[in-house]
Amino acid sequence: MRLPRLVRTTPFRLTLLFLALFAAAAFAFLGYIYIATAGEAARAADAAITREARSLEDVYGHGGFNALNEAVIERSSSTRGFLYLVMDAQGEPVSGSIAKSPIAKPPRDHSWASFGLTEADAGGARVRRPARGLEERLPGGELMFVGADVGEAQGYVLKIVNALWGAAALVIVLGLAGGVFVARDVSRNMNALNEVINTARMGDLGARARVRGAGDELDELAAGLNDMLDRLERSIAGLRHAGDAIAHDLRSPLTRLRARMEAALIEAEAGRGDPVGALRQALDDADGVLRTFGAVLAIARLEAATEAPDQTSFDPAELAAGVAELYEPVSEEKGLDFDAELAGGLSLRGNHGFIAQALANLLDNAVKYTPAGGAVMLRVRRRASGEIELSVTDTGPGVPEADRERVTGRFVRLENSRNAPGVGLGLSLVAAVARAHHGRLELDEGPGAVGGMGPGLRTALVLPGG
Amino acid sequence: MRLLIVEDDAEASEAMARGLTEAGHECVVAADGHEGLSVAASKGRFDVMIVDRMMPRLDGVAMVELLRKDGDQTPVLFLSALGEISHRVEGLKAGGDDYLVKPYAFAELIARVEALARRRETGSVQTLLRVGDLEMDLIGREVRRKGQEIDLQPREFQLLEFLMRHAGQSVTRTMLLERVWEYHFDPQTNVIDVHISRLRSKIDKGFDRPMLQTVRGAGYRLDA
Repeated sequence: MRLPRLVRTTPFRLTLLFLALFAAAAFAFLGYIYIATAGEAARAADAAITREARSLEDVYGHGGFNALNEAVIERSSSTRGFLYLVMDAQGEPVSGSIAKSPIAKPPRDHSWASFGLTEADAGGARVRRPARGLEERLPGGELMFVGADVGEAQGYVLKIVNALWGAAALVIVLGLAGGVFVARDVSRNMNALNEVINTARMGDLGARARVRGAGDELDELAAGLNDMLDRLERSIAGLRHAGDAIAHDLRSPLTRLRARMEAALIEAEAGRGDPVGALRQALDDADGVLRTFGAVLAIARLEAATEAPDQTSFDPAELAAGVAELYEPVSEEKGLDFDAELAGGLSLRGNHGFIAQALANLLDNAVKYTPAGGAVMLRVRRRASGEIELSVTDTGPGVPEADRERVTGRFVRLENSRNAPGVGLGLSLVAAVARAHHGRLELDEGPGAVGGMGPGLRTALVLPGG
Repeated sequence: MRLLIVEDDAEASEAMARGLTEAGHECVVAADGHEGLSVAASKGRFDVMIVDRMMPRLDGVAMVELLRKDGDQTPVLFLSALGEISHRVEGLKAGGDDYLVKPYAFAELIARVEALARRRETGSVQTLLRVGDLEMDLIGREVRRKGQEIDLQPREFQLLEFLMRHAGQSVTRTMLLERVWEYHFDPQTNVIDVHISRLRSKIDKGFDRPMLQTVRGAGYRLDA
């Protein structure tokens, strides 16, 4: 059934609603015009009738009943357009242009009446025309009726009303047709969107809605839907990648752990070996696996969220000072020259814990990879672009330009870092924190190669200023 | 100490109870929030309750809220697989006193349970801490050992204050990081160890008996 489906669409319902509102307004408008114009016509006719009656009363006052009778006879044959009837005290017609008063019961004083006037029109057909009349009792007890044909005035009003009716009917027909047209058009576009949604619901995230380029809200909806599907696809791919990475990186320590425990068990059953030492080693291995697992999970959660949770506004210099204070002893113990340059008066909005952890990871790397006698510099500043930079510069070996993109990936460890502790998740966590705050992680060369050191590395967490 | 363990995973609660009993504590186990509430009401006073956050029927947060509404002020340690800051805040708001994320090392659990029980004993506000011949004046911000003044950086002062408040107990690196630095992440390098060794050189150097001990597999302990 095509029509019921169409009738159920929102644009069609809106069209009907507006038509109903329009019709109600049109009726009110017509009613007002009718009352105003028809009422005005009746008042004008009544005034004219009253004036004519007064002039006849004057004739009666000066010349008595006979003079009135003559005047009525004279006026009845003129083209003044009034209806006259003069009657005696009993209501019997004496003279005039109509045979019988339309007022059945003669009044004691005076009385108004609306009545129909039957006439033959130009074609000979009998038509009834509306008329108004005033019947008065004269001082001598006789009766006088003066009336007028008001058909012309009322007919004019009726013509306007009929024209307006026609216009309203036309508007309703055109409105309905327009509603059907708009509803079909919108419904066709909505169907296309629904199809994309249904495809996605069935598990295929590859389908995309067509953006027609009209720039309307349907295009906005289509673009929004596409963006949502893009993000969903990326986030699922990210999770799948994280899953693969976890499986890959946890499998080897878990295998090692299992082998070690099995060997310890065989030795213990044979009454040899050091079961306590083996258990201790196994616990250490398990802790390592759990730590890796926790880090991967934290990254995956950050990447799955479009925005970092629990954001507050804070002073980035204060945050950096806290992290610097945590790392200062360890860097001093290693024989590094540690310095911090923290611009005050800045404000940053984000997850305090995650940003502190990201900065701690950057400092951790710098302290870990810079040889004794080197320097580590922590800096917080506002860039000319308005972005806030939290950067760590060291004089360590640095990262070759070709590897800079790669080291922010999960579990990436460069050849020369094999001997340092860590699982290779530090920078990927920083990158995830940066993304979750609509910022980025930048890796550059440090101060350059000097005295057998360098070229160094500058890592910067660049976040939008708040 | 008398401990109430509320945990729906029977294997986990049994292992926990075994370990805590081994450490010299008396344990009562409940399998969900409802049972936890009725045990708390009927089985006498507990020193600390260890409550799992996610349980069938009545979960840990709801249970502790009801407990607190009843006026029960027993210290509560939440155990949870949910480790984000918002979860932690939610747990503490409900009336929990500490929050430990699963999986955890047993040493961490014991250290936190003992710290919670201790906190209850020293409820009153102190202005002077004394451990053996070490004295800390919390108002004058001064530290003396055998009457000899020791000059500490603000963070070292906070670190020593925490250790003195938990003297004789093991405190873990994570506890120190959470309570002294207020960070909830795992710094990959042994940054805490370096802070401790700095503090140790200030309070133990030149004295015949070292007070700040390293506890293998757990953390540190300040002994009188």
